[in-house]
Amino acid sequence: MRMRSVIIVGLILLLAVVLQTTLFSQTTLFTPDLVLLVVIMFCLTRLRPELILALAFMSGLAVDLLGSAVLGLRAMVFTMVAYLGIRTRERADVGRIITGVWTGLLTLAGVVLLILVGTLFNQTVLLGEGVTDRLYLVPIANTVLALIFAPLFVRLVDRDTTAFRYV
Amino acid sequence: MLSRQPGDRTFPTLITLLVLGLLLMTFDVRSEGGGVTGLLRTGTQSMVAPLQKGAAFVVNPVVDVIDSLTNVATLREQNRALQQDLAEAQAALVAVDDDLARLELYEQLYRLEATGTAIGRTVAQVIGQPALEGSLIIDKGTADGIVVGQPVVDTSGYVVGTVEQVTVGTATIVPITVGPGGVAVAVGAQVGVVMPQIDTNIMRLELDAEEPVFIGDRVVTSSGSVRFPAGYPVGEVIADAAPTNDTLSTEVEPYVQPDTLRVVVVLAWPPDPITAVTEPTTTTTTSTTVPASTTASTSEGDG
Repeated sequence: MRMRSVIIVGLILLLAVVLQTTLFSQTTLFTPDLVLLVVIMFCLTRLRPELILALAFMSGLAVDLLGSAVLGLRAMVFTMVAYLGIRTRERADVGRIITGVWTGLLTLAGVVLLILVGTLFNQTVLLGEGVTDRLYLVPIANTVLALIFAPLFVRLVDRDTTAFRYV
Repeated sequence: MLSRQPGDRTFPTLITLLVLGLLLMTFDVRSEGGGVTGLLRTGTQSMVAPLQKGAAFVVNPVVDVIDSLTNVATLREQNRALQQDLAEAQAALVAVDDDLARLELYEQLYRLEATGTAIGRTVAQVIGQPALEGSLIIDKGTADGIVVGQPVVDTSGYVVGTVEQVTVGTATIVPITVGPGGVAVAVGAQVGVVMPQIDTNIMRLELDAEEPVFIGDRVVTSSGSVRFPAGYPVGEVIADAAPTNDTLSTEVEPYVQPDTLRVVVVLAWPPDPITAVTEPTTTTTTSTTVPASTTASTSEGDG
């Protein structure tokens, strides 16, 4: 991974964290999980699978460090989602809609895992008002964002203008 | 079906990271948010806080405009109801003024003096909310006298929650509606505890009761609370309930919706907290002495 790619990936993650904790913390209907979305989008790039897993872990850890839930919870969940993404990505890049649906399903898996692991570790901050709404609102919002931004994201990270043209 | 190629190191990497995650979780739980993990949290939050403050400065007005446009009809209705409430409140204020004048007269007659136990207040702006969590991030930290465990209310004095983590410039508030513990409360002369419930803002009220409670009864913090000063309003009872075996159980709707808060007030309570002081720093808004950096989790002593 070259220095420019490292900077791009770092900036994207930082932007996702800041937007998630400010802008999207105030919206009630459109509630994406931007950092999880970025992790899923990494699976579509040409980054090495091990590197994607490490990025997913670090991204989750960053969100854990900024929140009040137990440290390592999101790091584990994001890593598992990234693994699922790596294993199924060949089926995702056949068309824009498929990419969106794939992203939505992976997000759903992430939200379910987060609630499950959060329940096991008694993380009540993750189980407050609207936890069941999150099961569909977050995947839908991530699906919409993936439909719009997935190709652009992959082209930006891979620095390949021909990627994801769906021809 | 999942695809996998021979010689691929993805699975061992996954297992390694999961084990690392589990170790981190165990370490964080065992250290109760302090130690190295607490230091990591403080460092990360301190680094991201300026960006969050900047983003909140730009984003908040935009969100307000969008909210206003989408809720214009509701806002008109609310405005009418608020005008009516204001008229009633102004009438009540006149009566309170009379009482205050009478109180002042009695104080002069009996030569009474205030004990000086007023609670210090630090007004803070909500700058963010961690992803998919119920907690709130505010723009005040140890530099402003904020300490872990301090109670937080809204601008009307309604109970919001407690300070869970604090850095130099920011603090994380866990509302009572999601907080892991309960809050000791009173309904009239009866005392008990309100506890958060999963997937709802409505809280469970358990009372040591001899008398029934009714819809609309006011729930306030009790003098038995170790987390909040007594008498602060929490919410109101939303279902009638009668005691069985000297206890009763019902539901309470909190006065505060934490998601909608933009400004909160942190109370310097207890006035002289017994905290582990490493490097004392005098606060700017209160006389509380605080450690330079505190990240330990709040002890949920109530209930």
